[in-house]
Amino acid sequence: MNDTTIVTESTKRFKWVGTRPIRPDGVPKVTGRALYGADLKMPGMIYGKVLRSPHAHARIKSIDTSAAEKLTGVKAVVTSKDLPQQKFDYIGPERVAVNFWHVTRNIMAREKALYEGHAVAAVAAISASIAEEAAALIKVEYEVLPHVIDVDEAMADDAPLLFEDMITRGIEPPPTKPSNISKKLEFAIGDIEKGFAEADVVIEETFKTAAVHQAYIEPHACVAKAEADGQIEIWSSSQGHFAMRALTAQILGARLGDIRVTPAEIGGGFGGKTVTYLEPVAATLSKKSGGLPVRLQMTREDVFRATGPTSGSSSWVKIGVKKDGTITAMDGVYKFQAGAFPGSPVMNGCLCGFAPYDVPNQHAIGYDVVSNRPKAAAYRAPGSPIAGFAVESVIDMCAKAIGMDPLELRMKNVAKIGSPTIAGPKHAHAGFGETLQALYNHPAWKAPLGPNQGRGVACGYWFNGGGESSATLQVNADGTVLVATGSPDIGGSRASMALMAAETLGVDYGQVRAIVADTGSIGYTHVTGGSRVTFATGIAVVTATKSVVKELCRRAAVIWDVDPEGVVWEDGHAKPAGSNVGEFKPLSLKELAAKAAATGGPITASAGVNPGGQAPGFCAQFFDVEVDPETGHTTILRAVCAQDVGKAIHPSYVEGQMQGGVVQGIGWALSEEYIYNAKGQLDNPGFLDYRCPVASDLPMIDTILVEVPNPVHPYGAKGVGEANICPPMAAIANAIERAIDKRLTTLPMSPPRILEALSAG
Amino acid sequence: MARIVFTSGFARRYTSGVREFEVEAKNLRGVLKAMDALYPGLGEHLEEETTVAINGEMHETGYFQPVPPGAEVFFIPKIEGG
Repeated sequence: MNDTTIVTESTKRFKWVGTRPIRPDGVPKVTGRALYGADLKMPGMIYGKVLRSPHAHARIKSIDTSAAEKLTGVKAVVTSKDLPQQKFDYIGPERVAVNFWHVTRNIMAREKALYEGHAVAAVAAISASIAEEAAALIKVEYEVLPHVIDVDEAMADDAPLLFEDMITRGIEPPPTKPSNISKKLEFAIGDIEKGFAEADVVIEETFKTAAVHQAYIEPHACVAKAEADGQIEIWSSSQGHFAMRALTAQILGARLGDIRVTPAEIGGGFGGKTVTYLEPVAATLSKKSGGLPVRLQMTREDVFRATGPTSGSSSWVKIGVKKDGTITAMDGVYKFQAGAFPGSPVMNGCLCGFAPYDVPNQHAIGYDVVSNRPKAAAYRAPGSPIAGFAVESVIDMCAKAIGMDPLELRMKNVAKIGSPTIAGPKHAHAGFGETLQALYNHPAWKAPLGPNQGRGVACGYWFNGGGESSATLQVNADGTVLVATGSPDIGGSRASMALMAAETLGVDYGQVRAIVADTGSIGYTHVTGGSRVTFATGIAVVTATKSVVKELCRRAAVIWDVDPEGVVWEDGHAKPAGSNVGEFKPLSLKELAAKAAATGGPITASAGVNPGGQAPGFCAQFFDVEVDPETGHTTILRAVCAQDVGKAIHPSYVEGQMQGGVVQGIGWALSEEYIYNAKGQLDNPGFLDYRCPVASDLPMIDTILVEVPNPVHPYGAKGVGEANICPPMAAIANAIERAIDKRLTTLPMSPPRILEALSAG
Repeated sequence: MARIVFTSGFARRYTSGVREFEVEAKNLRGVLKAMDALYPGLGEHLEEETTVAINGEMHETGYFQPVPPGAEVFFIPKIEGG
């Protein structure tokens, strides 16, 4: 491995920030003692089981639960009738609008089952086997309807309709006929026709990508307990226990203050655990069973059949370029599968695909399309990799057409501060050009290649997130410090929060312990998603720590009998601000903690923040591949990932994020896809047949951490979790094209597709 | 004065297609109030349905956000979550 950090002059050196201590959650995880969603056991706990539709599309004529209810050991049965009706309206927090009329129907089917695996009823019983037996006794009468899986087919005039009254939004005047197109979006800057007229070469191509799952190792699981007085307690594995609280409250018609959610350790999420499937059902089963705690967990097959993958897509992209490499115009049409309910990330695709480039004329149209598949959920930079595959492939075709190095073409057009974006705002942060330069400087970029080998490059962009976060610091009597936040730890955030607190306090990292607090013990915090935690929750931690520092100075002033302004905090000690204050021996955090009771009581501070100004994520990668012309198998020989990380708070975790994004991108590129049979049933709902990359499929992945700090964050951090999944699909397609002189435009680029391309002559 | 810009879709729905405005405001609350005065109810739509970029910096639509003189304030739609 050749991991490198490129540091710009403006990046400061710190004592703890930028170091690589052992993660605080490491020992319980490697010894198998960490508690995940399905590990919690409670006295009197009963077991839930969800009955799911075997049909891709069917009207539910009746549900008879009487036999299940009579089975000995069954404590509760739930159908959609037990959940309150929801208003049809797109509302929601943060940058996400949610329609709970859809959400409640996704949690439990009402009029129709809209995909194989759609929940139609649930039972809870004194054992898992009785629950399973009871679920099988529920009689559902279906009227099977024609189904549609593919996005292009779902958009056809004669496609079976999932919702007979769905009129496409975003078209004026609105269409008179219903369709599966939920929404049309359009964005434009400049003059697209003029831009193409200025180009010497114009290239267009169509692309298809498969729906792929986040493939988190831990299936969804929760335990819920609903008391007769309306109080609900939930323990679950998710990317946001406050989001689970809010979603459960809305679905059940409960008050936020009556629900307390405790986060379990999470075995991966990648965006897919920002939505709820089980918690409202488990709480309803608990309520109907008289308040018994109910555990509800999915099998791996449930996860594949019933939880959101990212969208599959069909796209068209057209790019114009001058002979000198100046890109003059970029146009795109993106059709995204939303799954059974509206809400694909197609807007992100429209906004992110061209974002790495400084191009005056841009145009993008997006279609959000429902079909008989599980509702799409967020997956790492949702939408951006799908558009990126098309855009970065066509850029490579342009480079080849004008005889220019593909990385030099990207460097020539890379976005800078002030470059326009298709959404309208101008780019406000640097780092893209520095990242491309770092990749270009990698010694392997110009290394020779052998027969059947090729090298491909691509870029990726993600907005990154800010938003609401909370943190509390407590100084313990022995001088240790507890940092509590509301952000579930998916990528090592407990370590990075402790590092930032230690740096701000000037004490050893070992003195600081970071935890994730439940919804009753910390202020509201958005989900761990959007690459927002190190930035936004980090600002909450630093803000709370600064309040503690101020309080420590005040306590020292009390001890010294001086004005608080006469005390400064340096290197973990309170010191006199100057000789005029008096001669005092500096007081350490430990000494001040020991005097807490005498000087005013517990030393603690909380911060609730809603920061913006997060810098976007930018990543560039190149891959070397070798294609076996006999089998069509592609071997990844080398992967090099350069990313603008702002300031790496814990470089090992940043490298881990980059390598993880690359690995998931390799799976998306070469092997992962949902395979449906003629009945619209998923034929590969398990890891044996849904082929994620494993270690033996992968090379060592070089990471280049480019540190162009974000001035808005106290330590310069930028989100690092997502932009890295955007480049691999196009970069590998570009590498394959250079290896075999065939352009693959459909994902995954599996051996049969490679052989088909080779045999096409 | 700050320059306020909406996407064409948002402008079509709420401002009769007018995409750009100039308002006097020190912070985002001032922008929302000024827009609400021009189009009653628009402030609430902006709060609930948009994310904002002030001179290219992305923010949630919060009142406290300063708007420097001459700033470009761009409202873009929230992502749809299903």
